[in-house]
Amino acid sequence: MIFNIQRYSTHDGEGIRTLIFFKGCTLHCQWCSNPEGIPFGPTLLYDERLCKDLGECLSVAAPSIQRNDDGHGIRIDRNSIKHPEILRDVCPAKALTVVGEEIGVEELLEEIEKDRRFYRDNGGVTLSGGEPLAQSDFLVPLLQELKKRGIPADVETSLHVEWKSIAAVKEWVDTFLVDLKHTDAGKFRTYTGGDVRLVMENLKKLVEGGARVIIRVPVIPGFNHSQREMIGIIDHAHALGIEEIHFLPYHTLGMEKYRMMGREYLYGQYRSLRDEDVHSYIEYAQSKGLRTKTGG
Amino acid sequence: MITTTKEEKVSQRIARLREKVLGTRPSVCTERARFYTEVYRRHEELPVILRRALALEKTLKEMTIFIDEGELIVGNHSSQHRAAPIFPEYAVDWLPEEMDDLDKRPGDAFYITEQHKKELREIASWWKGKVLWDRGRALMSQELRDLQDAAIIKATGNLTSGDGHIAVDFPKILSVGLEGYLEEIAHYHSQVDRSDREGIKKDLFYRALTTVLRAFQSFILRYRDLALEISSRETDPRRMKELRTIAGNCEVIASRPPESFWQALQLTWFVQLVLQIESNGHSVSLGRMDQYLYPFYHNDILTGKISDEEVIELLENTWIKLLSISKIRPWSHTRFSAGGPLYQNVTIGGQTPDGRDAVNDLSYLILDSVGRMRLTQPNLSVRFHRNISHDFMMACMRVIEKGFGMPSFNNDEIVIPGLLALGVEPEDAYDYSAIGCIEIAVPGKWGYRCTGMSFLNLMRVFMATLHNGLDTESGKVFREGTGHFRDFSSYDDLFRAWQHQIRYYTRKTVEIDTAVDTALEELVPDIFCSAFVEDCIPRGKTIKEGGSKYDFVSGLQVGIANLGNALAAIKKLVFEEKRISPDELLEALEKDFAGKEGEKIRQLLLNYAPKYGNDDDEVDLLLRDAYMEFINELEQYHTTRYGRGPIGCRYYAGTSSISANVPSGAVVPATPDGRKAYTPVAEGSSPSSGTDVKGPTAVFKSVAKLPTEKIMGGVLLNQKLTPPTIRKTEDKEKLISLIRTFFEDLKGWHVQYNIVSRETLLAAQKEPEKYRDLIVRVAGYSAFFTTLSPDTQNDIIARTEHTL
Repeated sequence: MIFNIQRYSTHDGEGIRTLIFFKGCTLHCQWCSNPEGIPFGPTLLYDERLCKDLGECLSVAAPSIQRNDDGHGIRIDRNSIKHPEILRDVCPAKALTVVGEEIGVEELLEEIEKDRRFYRDNGGVTLSGGEPLAQSDFLVPLLQELKKRGIPADVETSLHVEWKSIAAVKEWVDTFLVDLKHTDAGKFRTYTGGDVRLVMENLKKLVEGGARVIIRVPVIPGFNHSQREMIGIIDHAHALGIEEIHFLPYHTLGMEKYRMMGREYLYGQYRSLRDEDVHSYIEYAQSKGLRTKTGG
Repeated sequence: MITTTKEEKVSQRIARLREKVLGTRPSVCTERARFYTEVYRRHEELPVILRRALALEKTLKEMTIFIDEGELIVGNHSSQHRAAPIFPEYAVDWLPEEMDDLDKRPGDAFYITEQHKKELREIASWWKGKVLWDRGRALMSQELRDLQDAAIIKATGNLTSGDGHIAVDFPKILSVGLEGYLEEIAHYHSQVDRSDREGIKKDLFYRALTTVLRAFQSFILRYRDLALEISSRETDPRRMKELRTIAGNCEVIASRPPESFWQALQLTWFVQLVLQIESNGHSVSLGRMDQYLYPFYHNDILTGKISDEEVIELLENTWIKLLSISKIRPWSHTRFSAGGPLYQNVTIGGQTPDGRDAVNDLSYLILDSVGRMRLTQPNLSVRFHRNISHDFMMACMRVIEKGFGMPSFNNDEIVIPGLLALGVEPEDAYDYSAIGCIEIAVPGKWGYRCTGMSFLNLMRVFMATLHNGLDTESGKVFREGTGHFRDFSSYDDLFRAWQHQIRYYTRKTVEIDTAVDTALEELVPDIFCSAFVEDCIPRGKTIKEGGSKYDFVSGLQVGIANLGNALAAIKKLVFEEKRISPDELLEALEKDFAGKEGEKIRQLLLNYAPKYGNDDDEVDLLLRDAYMEFINELEQYHTTRYGRGPIGCRYYAGTSSISANVPSGAVVPATPDGRKAYTPVAEGSSPSSGTDVKGPTAVFKSVAKLPTEKIMGGVLLNQKLTPPTIRKTEDKEKLISLIRTFFEDLKGWHVQYNIVSRETLLAAQKEPEKYRDLIVRVAGYSAFFTTLSPDTQNDIIARTEHTL
C-alpha cells in the first residue's frame, strides 16, 4: 500500500526523482512529518478548511460522523470506523479523504515511467515512506523491473526491519538513504518506539556487504539537536566507513496533518530549524572527511 | 566568458536615473496630438501616407527634447518621462469619455491637467469620425460588430492602437547607416514608372520615406546641438567630455554607420524611439541585441576603447530609456495587457545560422544588466537550444532567482523546425527573435503583428455549444446549433457540436482581422517602420501593402485549460459515470453554483474530473483534439497581403494572451470546469490556477501534448516557484535539468518563472482554492502550501520576506 507518489522530488537522492511513499512504519517518531504514513492500513484525513457542509459523509457513516453543534464541520469518532475505505471518494469537496491505496507493480511502473525523460543522467526513483522495507515482498519485483528498465532506484529507510527484508532487496538498490537518528538506545526507544541496536546491526551488515549508503540525520530539537549527540552519530557513521552524511533540519510542515488525523502533535513547542542551525554539525562531519549536505 | 556573478551595485548615475523614471507619475503629453492634428488639418488634399510623413516630420522637428543629468544615451519619447503621447488618428471617442477618470484607473493611472483636457477635447472633436476605429467598424458587417460587442471576439487593440509586434532590421541599420537607406530609396525611387497605377503609389511611398528619414536625421542632430549647448555651460570636466562624446555620437549616426558600441546602441535606441512615436502599438521589439551589437562590442574591447563595466552602464541606461516610454490606451484595451508594459523585447542566446551556440560575452552583459535593473522593461527572452552552455543557464537562473519573471525561455528546438515547415529560409529561421513576450518573428523580415490580431474567447463558444448555439450573455444565436446539451447522448455528440460552433467562430476571427487590416492599411500606414523591413523598399510597399519578406499572423485564443477541463468533466461525470445529469449541470451553471446542490456539483467538477496540467491523457488529449478543430479551420485562410509579395500570408494559432484571461473571464458565465461566473479563465497555455497538483514535470508533459508545432503564435507557460526551490546551486541545477528535458525531449515552446512573493503567499492563505498548486519542497517531504497549518504558513511567509 502506498500513500503518495511525488514527482519532481529534488532532495531525496541525486537528480530529479519520483518518490513513492509506502504506507506503514515500524517506528513512530514523535516529530514525524508524514504521520499518515505510520499506520499500515488506510487512514482517514479531515481538513476542516475545505469542508462545505455538503453532508455526503453523514449519509455514509453516521453516527460515527456527526455534524458539529455549531452547524459547520464534522466530528469523527475514529475508533468506531473500522473500514475507512467506505468513505473514499464520498466527499465532493475532498475535505474528507482516505489515504493509502493498494497498487500493483505494473501500475506503479506506469507512473514512474511518466517522468522517465526527466530523470536524465542521475535521477530516478526513491522508495520512501513510512518504511518501504516493511513491504519488501512487493519491493523485490518492483526493483527488479526498475533495474531491467535502467531506472536507478534508491531506498529511504530507517533500517528498523528484519535483516532478511534488507537482504532481499539490496542487490537491486542503488543507494540506501539511511536514517540514523540517535546512538543512544534509551532515547531512541522513548522518542521512536524502536530498538536502535537493530538499526545499528543492519547498518553495519549493509555497509560491510558493500552497499552504497548515505546517512541522513533528522536534526530534531529536544532529541538529538546538540553537539554531543550529533558527534556521537557522526563518529558512528565515520567509524563504519560511511562517506556521505546529510543533515535534515527539523520542520513543522507536517503539523497540520496531525489535526487532520485527529491526533495531537507533541512537537508543537518547537520552531522549524534553519540551515544555519546545523552548520556546526556540517563542519564537524567535514573535518572527519565526510561529504555533507543540508536538507538532502 | 564571465562565469561569476558580477558586483551587483549599479553606478550612482544609473541609480539616480532609475529612481527618477520610476518615481515619475505617468502623465499625458499633447504635443504629438497637436502636431499631427495641425498637419492633417492643413493638408486635407494630400494622400494619407504623405500626411503621415509630414506629421511625423513636424513632430520630430518640433517636439520637446531634453537630456537628463548624467545620461549617456539620449532621446526622449515625449515632453516628460513617462508622459504618454496621444495618437488621435487611431481612436478618439474614448478620450473625452475616459479623460476625467484617467487618474483613477485601478492599474495604469495617468495624471492629466485641465489645460491638457481642454486641448484634447478640441483635438478629439476635429478627428471625430475620421479615425481608424470608425473605419474599421465601418468595414465590418453588422454580424461582426455584434460579435465584437458581445465580447466573444475582441479586436479593440488593433483598432485603437495599431499593430506593434515587430522587430526591425537593426543589423542592416547599423551596417549601412541612414545615408545608406536614403541612397537605396533614391535608387528605387528613380526607377518608378509613374505611368502605372502602382507606380503612383510607389512614388508616394518613396516620397514619404525620404521625408521621414530626413526628419529622423534632423531629430538626431537636435540632440547633437543640445548636448553641445549643455556642455558649454557644464563645469564638471568629466561630464563636459561625456556631453561632447554624445554630440559626436549623434553627428556620426545621423548619417553614417556607427563606429563604436556606444554609437551603435545610441542609434538602436533612436530607431526604437521613433518607432514608438510613429505607431501606438505595443511589443515593438529590439530583436537579437547580443548578436548585432557584438561586432561593435568586440572591436571596442579589443582596442581598449571601453570596459565591461562601461558597457553595462550604457545598457542599463538604455533599459531605463525603454521604461521611460509610456502609452495610453482606452481602458477596454488596457485591461487586456495589465500593468501597462510595452513588451519591448530583447532576445539573447540562440544559435548562429550554422547552428552553433550564439551566446557571447555581450549576452552575459545584457543578462546581468537586466538583472541588476529589475525593471519591467526590456522583456528579456533567452533562446534555448540543445547546445546552450550550463554556465549560461546558471547565469539565467541567478537572474530568475531575483524574482521579477525574467528571463523567459523560447525553444529553438521547436521554433526553428516550425519556421522551416512554414517555408521560412534556414538562415532566417535560425535568426528568429522573440517579439513582445513570447511570440516570434524573423527580425527585419516579418510583417507587423506576428500575433494578437484578435482574441477569441473559447469558453463563450463552448457555452454556446451547450445551448444549441445560443450565446446566453448576449441572448443572440450567432450560429444555429446541432442540438441542445440535454439531448446529447454521448461525448461524441458534444464534440460534434463543438466542431460546428468553433469552425464558424474561427472564420469570423479572420473576417474581423481582414476588416481591421484593411483599415490599418488605408488609414495609418507606417512609413518609418516599413523603411527597416526587408523588402519594403525594393517593392515600394508598406508592410500592410505586402512589403515584408514573410507574413504570418496569429490571433489569440483565450481559455485553453478551461476548455480541456470542461470537456473532460462532462465526459467523465455526465456521460461516463453519470454522477451529474445534464439538467443538473445546466442548472448549477445557470445559478453560478449557488446553494448546496450547486456547491456539490461544483466540488465534483473540481475534484472528480481530470484537469489539464497533470499529465493525464483523459483531459490533455480531449483538449488537443478540440483545439485542432480551430487550427484546422484557421489554416485555410489568408491575410490581406496574400498574392502581394510576402511568403506565407497565413494564420496560425497562438496563446500568448498576456493578462487577457482576466477581462475574457469577466464576460464568461460559470463553466463546467467548476469555474465560477465572471472570474478569470486560465492564462495562456498554463493550467487553470490551482489545478496542477502533480508538480512541474506533469505540467510540462501536459503542455507538450498540445499541437505545439502548429501554435507558432506562442505557447505561453508561466510557472510559479517558491523561493526555497531555487536558492541553492543544486536547486538551480535541477531546474536547468528540468528545463532541458522540457525543451530537448518534450519540445516545449516557452517557459517563464515567477518566484512566488510574500503577497502571493498571503493571498493563498486567504483563498486556498486558487493556490492549490503552490508547493513547498524539503527533504523527504513536499507539501502544498495551502494544506499547511497557519503557523507554518506564517513561518514560510516570514522567511520569504527575508529572501526577497
